[in-house]
Amino acid sequence: MSEPLLVSGLSLLLLGTVLSLLYRSRTCRTGSLGLTCLSSCLLVVFAGEVLYGGREVLIESYSFLSPLEFNFLIDRLSAGFVLLISLVSLGVSLYSIKYVEDDKSEGRKSLHVALMNLFIFSMLLVVLSANGFSFLLFWELMSISSLFLVIYEYEKPESRKAALFYFIMTSLSTVFLFSAFIGLYSRTGSFDFRGFGLLDPKAVSGIFLALFFGFAIKAGAVPFHKWLPYAHPASPSNISALMSGVMLKVAIYGLLRFLLAVEPELWWGVLVLVFGSVSALLGVVYALKENDIKRMLAYSSIENVGLILIGIGLYLIFRVSGLAGLAGLSLAAAGFHCLNHALFKSLLFMAAGSVVHETGTRNLEEMGGLVKRMPRTALLFLIGAVSIAALPPTNGFVSELMLFQAFFSSSALAGANAPFLKVLLVISLSALALTSALAATLFVKVFGITFLAQPRTECAKQAGEVPKIMLLGQAIPAALCILTGLFSSRLFALFGFPVEVEVPDMLFVGGILTGAYLLVWLSVRNFGPSSGPRVSEETWGCGILAQHPTMEYSSAGFSEPLVLIFKKIYRTQLSSSRTFADSRECVFEHGTAEIRLMKFFDEYLYLPVAQAVDRVSMEVSRLQNGRLDTYVLYVFLAVLVLMIFTRWFA
Amino acid sequence: MTPDFPNLSFTLFCLLNTGFVLLVSPFYMSLIKKVKAAAQGRKGPRLLQNYYDLRKLLHREVVYSPTSSGVMRVTPYLNLAVLLLASLFVPVIFIPDAPAGIGNIIVFIYLLAIERFFTALCGLDAGSTFGGMGSSRAMSLSAVIEPTMVISFAALAYVLKTVDLHEMFAITSASAIPVSPTLVLVSISLFIIIIVETGRLPVDNPATHLELTMINEAMILEQSGKNLALIELTHSVKQTLLMAVLINILVPVGLSGGPNMGDLAVSGLLVSGLAFLVKAALLAVVIGLFESSLSKMRLFRLPVFYMMAFFFSALTILMEVFA
Repeated sequence: MSEPLLVSGLSLLLLGTVLSLLYRSRTCRTGSLGLTCLSSCLLVVFAGEVLYGGREVLIESYSFLSPLEFNFLIDRLSAGFVLLISLVSLGVSLYSIKYVEDDKSEGRKSLHVALMNLFIFSMLLVVLSANGFSFLLFWELMSISSLFLVIYEYEKPESRKAALFYFIMTSLSTVFLFSAFIGLYSRTGSFDFRGFGLLDPKAVSGIFLALFFGFAIKAGAVPFHKWLPYAHPASPSNISALMSGVMLKVAIYGLLRFLLAVEPELWWGVLVLVFGSVSALLGVVYALKENDIKRMLAYSSIENVGLILIGIGLYLIFRVSGLAGLAGLSLAAAGFHCLNHALFKSLLFMAAGSVVHETGTRNLEEMGGLVKRMPRTALLFLIGAVSIAALPPTNGFVSELMLFQAFFSSSALAGANAPFLKVLLVISLSALALTSALAATLFVKVFGITFLAQPRTECAKQAGEVPKIMLLGQAIPAALCILTGLFSSRLFALFGFPVEVEVPDMLFVGGILTGAYLLVWLSVRNFGPSSGPRVSEETWGCGILAQHPTMEYSSAGFSEPLVLIFKKIYRTQLSSSRTFADSRECVFEHGTAEIRLMKFFDEYLYLPVAQAVDRVSMEVSRLQNGRLDTYVLYVFLAVLVLMIFTRWFA
Repeated sequence: MTPDFPNLSFTLFCLLNTGFVLLVSPFYMSLIKKVKAAAQGRKGPRLLQNYYDLRKLLHREVVYSPTSSGVMRVTPYLNLAVLLLASLFVPVIFIPDAPAGIGNIIVFIYLLAIERFFTALCGLDAGSTFGGMGSSRAMSLSAVIEPTMVISFAALAYVLKTVDLHEMFAITSASAIPVSPTLVLVSISLFIIIIVETGRLPVDNPATHLELTMINEAMILEQSGKNLALIELTHSVKQTLLMAVLINILVPVGLSGGPNMGDLAVSGLLVSGLAFLVKAALLAVVIGLFESSLSKMRLFRLPVFYMMAFFFSALTILMEVFA
């Protein structure tokens, strides 16, 4: 084995899994998570070195039969995603050291740690896989280990429902991937990913569609997004951070691996761009209406996956149109946004996990005033919120800036399709702008309602700061959010991404901003009365005597204007029937009122499909009557059919 | 084109341009008030009233609510700093040799977004109903105007083939008439954006005394003393910068310098300063008259008003595409 860092990193993860499975004690769990940290550090160094050096290594480790072999490829694309996974798992494993101890049962706590390590391990091997066989094997390992983590609180019916939903969706995704890889095998005779480039143009579109849908389901693009808002709130927060921050990106990785190897067609780009724009906009619009902090973050992940898909779509369009510079810019934007979203979303999920842990509720309406009780968590959450709201000079801004620049330069498009493409890009650009502004609104709401003003309930009043190690786990992604933003252009230059279109230097912007802040502070510092105590006075409330949390703006109230503006999307239906009292007999009859939330995708997509599957399986289940002779008959018939079939067609 | 930093032209620009913007901004606030008063048959405040107000506020103590947090204490400074940074993106008197990225139109839009984000958080910080209402409305309306704003600037980028405001101004100031007739169309959108972003009628009424109808004023209801002075100053700088974008796109006459003109004469600077003063005063009068001629729209009628601005900017791009 020629890659000591990689191998030792991966073995440490496996060792951690085994350790926490064998010994159910706190020391072993802490040790196991410590090994995860260590392995993450090693892998960060490894990935950084590969990215910097740009080498490619193919490791052929084991083979069952000729096509079924474990091959691993290390190149810059996989190294980038190894870096992403390791950075996030570094923070998450530190956070988990205290977080997992919350449960009562020793066995469950140990299982939690073991599954988490296995989950990280399988994600790493998915992105390192060089052929369809090992990709799918580790893909399934990733899905199953995360499935058990989603169902971690299996006593709750909502967890079981979430897990079932997740299981069905992820199996569906695997079916698409299976058919794509079998298509690859039937054309090239091997599962090797290098075969993508050899496919003939007719076959490649079919494989693209199968892969795109498979990965879109796993990444949570609209309309395949429904499992996210179920699975993320149900799982423990450290797992939500990993699933949302990293696992969705693994699907994006798969898509990129394919797209970079083949010669794309224009309609692919259009398809991906449309999917991306719709996911981005609908994700944030749905998030605005959520009052559950983790569901809200799950919807926001859908939005961010949409942004990444917009970047990929732009890349395909520009690449087909022959604009290499803009294609590179869009691809870099998509890739950088993968990293950025992994960082700030894992940070936000961890901070939300701390809040949920301290207050015992996920409902925003029951929080408030936490900035006084959890000041450090509040600051970390604010950093995450500022990054995800794409405010300069954070990393979230840089990737959106690159997307915007790609859009703004689209006047360079030429050719027969150019007018159509330009109009499409203008529509998509408006969607992107709206998405980005709505995301800012969303995070003003979430931060404001959760952390500012007075606590709305007793449980929020009794919250306290979380242990230091949990804060440290969040501080790593928080610091990275700011640093990767400030040094973005230097990082791009260092790792050799030739971005031909110049991206503004955030270090300069950040420097001037800090200078200006100091300047303003110094120049007005001496104004005002210098002596005397600081004056503190109750918030003005139009004459009420004392402030009361019920007077504060609520979460639902905050998003009400936008809910009204976008009511066509939510399709909330209010229906009421009133029966007035009879004046002589004074009989009051019952009236009814109903607020019906139209669940568009549930009613028009998921339920019809589920019902159809139900009907088919009812029919199929009749075949199974439990009698041995019938089954022998089936086997006999099957053999007969096969024999006839092979005789005629072979 | 990456000039070494710090170069003389840019350092001078930082001092002169930002200082100039800071100095003249409060004037236009008063001027608009004066115009509105005149339209209503009142005498109105003195033209320098805003300077007196700022001086008075700067010497007052700051009163904080016990509910409020660090957000309330940091935001006034941060917002003014952000707007000072934003002022580097909009040359008002001359176009310097700026380092790459200073002048990027998207960064400019998002600097304004920082100001909005933190002002809205301030509105929620003190726990007052009015503040929350103001934040909610301001953020919602700004979210709905955002596509218009981005498409307008994209239209500028389409027409002028650059995403840099400095370069855009250099192109427009090179000719006496607007470079392209479509720029006139974008200007209508830019005008509406000024109205929306600075919280003017028919979107928001800056002179209202009724809390329930406030948007911007409701968010800063809890601000006092020198913090309020900073917030007011920030607001007026923002108005001046947006006005400057419109002026320099539509009538850039008098804007001196360009990336290639290294030698700047003092007389040239004076002329361009004066030219901007006059042009901005005219625009302020137009804004004042525009405000006087309309009444406040219902909150949920506003998206229609925004659609109009969106239409003009989208039309510009379509005309460029199919021309």
